[in-house]
Amino acid sequence: MNRKQFEKENQSRWEELSRILHQLDEGQSPVDADKLPSLFRQVCNDLALAQYRMYGIRLCDRLNQLVIAGYKHVYHTVNASFETFLHYFAVEFPRNVRREWRLFILALLLFWAPFGALILSAYVNPQWLQAVLAPESMEMVEGMYGKGERSQIEYVRDRFGSNFAMFGFYIFNNVRIAFITFAGGILCGLGTMFFLLFNGTFIGAVFGYVHFAGDTEKLYTFVAGHSAFELTGIILAGVAGLRLGLSIIKSTRFSRKHALAKGAREAVGILYGAATLIILAAFIEGFWSPQPFDPSLKYAVGIFFWVLLALYLFLAGHRRHSHET
Amino acid sequence: MKIDTLQTVELAEGVEIRLPMAGPAARSLAWLIDILIIAGSILILILFTTLLGVFADSGIATGIYMIGSFFIYWFYFVFFENGKHGATPGKRTLGLRVVQTSGTPITFTQAIIRNFIRAIDSLPFYLIGLTACTSTRRFQRLGDLAANTVVIYTKSEHRPSLPPHEDLKALPPPVPLTREEQLAIVTFTERAALWSDERKIELANHLAPLTGATGPAAVDRLFSIGRWLQKSS
Repeated sequence: MNRKQFEKENQSRWEELSRILHQLDEGQSPVDADKLPSLFRQVCNDLALAQYRMYGIRLCDRLNQLVIAGYKHVYHTVNASFETFLHYFAVEFPRNVRREWRLFILALLLFWAPFGALILSAYVNPQWLQAVLAPESMEMVEGMYGKGERSQIEYVRDRFGSNFAMFGFYIFNNVRIAFITFAGGILCGLGTMFFLLFNGTFIGAVFGYVHFAGDTEKLYTFVAGHSAFELTGIILAGVAGLRLGLSIIKSTRFSRKHALAKGAREAVGILYGAATLIILAAFIEGFWSPQPFDPSLKYAVGIFFWVLLALYLFLAGHRRHSHET
Repeated sequence: MKIDTLQTVELAEGVEIRLPMAGPAARSLAWLIDILIIAGSILILILFTTLLGVFADSGIATGIYMIGSFFIYWFYFVFFENGKHGATPGKRTLGLRVVQTSGTPITFTQAIIRNFIRAIDSLPFYLIGLTACTSTRRFQRLGDLAANTVVIYTKSEHRPSLPPHEDLKALPPPVPLTREEQLAIVTFTERAALWSDERKIELANHLAPLTGATGPAAVDRLFSIGRWLQKSS
């Protein structure tokens, strides 16, 4: 059989597949969509034959295109449903976090070590604080948490306008920090480590400066409510980045390429949760934290969220019969 | 030896498809279009929120601006690449598409991975991404490597349909040829119209032991053999 005969004999099949695929691409639902799988397999067969019999580039290209176009419909992935969403938060996310407990401790140390050191330096050697904070930052910190009568919320309102504007800013800034902390993991984890240390240092310096020159009650009543979700969210974004980086360095029994792809999937399994926690924190920080309630109530709410989050991460998603490894 | 950018992928159907990989040049152009669209959308957002700020509540306007620009910046690529076409408007304009290395459409998670790591790839002036892109077999930047994705052309390049040298006689090759050799000659006859005469001669001269000729005669002789091979198969 030569090429012309081959083309003539199979032309109608190719055109039919082509038409169905075109309709699917356009978002219509062709009546004979159920023929797609068998047509697709026949055309695969045609392509294999055409390649073997050397029917030429033109025909092979045409069939190649047809198979690629069909492949994407036959094997298209189903997008996440509401159930997978629920399952993720009820089971997978806390499990993923527990699986990475070693990296969690590492991220915790990377963030809290500079944080603690800078609070300490408020009492020992405040020059460190000046080394980290620019004069404008110190001014801003004094405005927010200074010793004056003016409440910090008035200062923030002056700067941002309203609770909603602040909420927007927290989303814009904090979630971005989480995403970049994750992305930095691709540099063998170094980027992530840098951002964790950097944020620990900067936030530590702000807290240290308040200890040194400000009103700590103003600070702690403000941050109490959202601290659990925000700090844990940042640290978990760090865990995601470290997982990404570690998968490159320590590829175990996989090729480095496969280890990276696998590590990235695992890392994102933590990043989604981390980002959700930070968005939650942004809500609280925007709408609850600025409320002028009694300090004891604000501390109580803060402790409540810490306990809630700890219980969730430690206890959720345990299964008696585990099918997965 | 590989002389083109086609990547062969074997499907479960037992057939091999060839994915035409897109290189850094086409992808940079697509990115340029996308970044213009992003800049345009941010501009519209600024206009809208400024008006809102003047005529309504400025706090709400600031908040909307912050959240809007956050989503545009982080999710523009994710949204479009996870969509039906698997491509941002820039990529579509250039005829590109993001797929898994196996040729299937990418998942939401893959879109997230490859586009969040863009934050690193784009440092400094996309140098990291470009370096990774040019030093991997499938032109993958770091985000692609982590997400296990590639960027391909959706349409194969336009090939001129050739009048298959009807005036030439089909001649059998003087010695039996292997499949690869036959394929090389058939491909030569089909692609010849894309090249200058000098290039054709240059290539045909390599086969002087087979054709027993050099110069234009060698080209004609190869065409004849090619015709015979296509007819006989």
